[in-house]
Amino acid sequence: MQRTSDPMPAATGTFVLKARTFECMGTVIGLTLPMGSPAEGQPGPDELVAATAVVERLFQDLDEIFSLYRPDSEASRLARGELKLPHASAPMREAYAEAHEWRLRTEGAFTPERPDGVLDLSGIIKGHAIREAGTSLLALGRRDWCLNAGGDVLVSGSPRPGSTEPWTAGVVDPADRRTLITGYALGGNGRHNAIATSGSAERGEHIWRAGNGAQDGGGFVQVTVAAADIVTADVLATAIVAGGAPMLNHAADNWDVAVLAIRADGSMLATPAFQPA
Amino acid sequence: MKIRGTVAAALASAGILLVGWQTGTQVNGISTVASSTTATGTTGAAGTGSAGTGSSGTAGSSGSSSSTGSSSSSGSIGSSGSSAAGTYKGNTVQTRFGPVQVQITVASGKITDITALQLTNTDGKSIQISNRAAPLLRSKVLAAQSANVQTVSGATITSDAYLTSLQAAIDAANL
Repeated sequence: MQRTSDPMPAATGTFVLKARTFECMGTVIGLTLPMGSPAEGQPGPDELVAATAVVERLFQDLDEIFSLYRPDSEASRLARGELKLPHASAPMREAYAEAHEWRLRTEGAFTPERPDGVLDLSGIIKGHAIREAGTSLLALGRRDWCLNAGGDVLVSGSPRPGSTEPWTAGVVDPADRRTLITGYALGGNGRHNAIATSGSAERGEHIWRAGNGAQDGGGFVQVTVAAADIVTADVLATAIVAGGAPMLNHAADNWDVAVLAIRADGSMLATPAFQPA
Repeated sequence: MKIRGTVAAALASAGILLVGWQTGTQVNGISTVASSTTATGTTGAAGTGSAGTGSSGTAGSSGSSSSTGSSSSSGSIGSSGSSAAGTYKGNTVQTRFGPVQVQITVASGKITDITALQLTNTDGKSIQISNRAAPLLRSKVLAAQSANVQTVSGATITSDAYLTSLQAAIDAANL
């Protein structure tokens, strides 16, 4: 079920941002579009409704396959051993292959298996859904949008269509989620269109720590990664929470990413893009 | 920060050079060279003419085999010593920071200096090669307020937590 926020007067130019949200995968997904005058060929409310419907359908379809909260999902049947991976659907096998590839690339810091051995692709499926939704929005002809799924963000274009003005994403403070620690420019002319944050503040220990990666006291309670694509940002944020500073260095050295990592005592590590000029 | 990246690139290039050494010396029948001190200091690629001596099959004898890097070497050869020495240029390697080429100086079988010969991007400007994270003080951070962001990134929030989140406030206000 979609909910639309009330329209507001245009603050900049002739565009006004309008958002619609829906619930899926245990969180809230929001799509924001800059609205202009339909007479001038700009998207209007109907386009936002249609675009959000496409995104929602895509998320619902993936959730039906991959949710471990649905006893009848394919993922649940795999977890119970009723279904073996070689006999699973193509989307399931592809998601597993991608997750396994990420396990190799992160040297085990990201893993698609829980400590009890149950396959859990939830660490990759939200990013996958966001990526697919972005592809669909572009296929629909939408060039300027911001998609936020439970704190993981993918943008395209600009909040002011036709300009190079970037979107700005705030990074939440893990100690006080009503405040922001900093902001990061996405889209526009920049290299990074996606930003994802991992931590255990909201959902408990949903990140499986890999071996001795995270030392006591040196571990991060929240890690934010900006990258060109959402899956890279999402997976690396998860991997750095699990793998600690060594994984942070590995990610910064091997991917074109910006990283902001926060320890329990509030101290922070940041790559140059998050450092003040 | 720049040094770490340079060292990383240099080590990568050094690895290429060492492979080159291995390859070269296997021709001469010596099984272990790498960075150990069994190789002589003669270098052949620059055409010093001494390479022929070493490559004449005196396998295993000390002080007679030649070794070269994978590219040109530029003199400063250890004359009669029993150790690899000299300066070696690595291949130009394309990295995501642009082309990188390093030169290493070897004495007594050990790398004693690493110099970046080429470390520029296509604009010819020096670039920052390191993306390593450094401590960031909260007081120094680039401030952001919810009034000037269009979206919020945070650890995944539940549907219930969304209701009291900054993102919900932003969505509700459209901005």
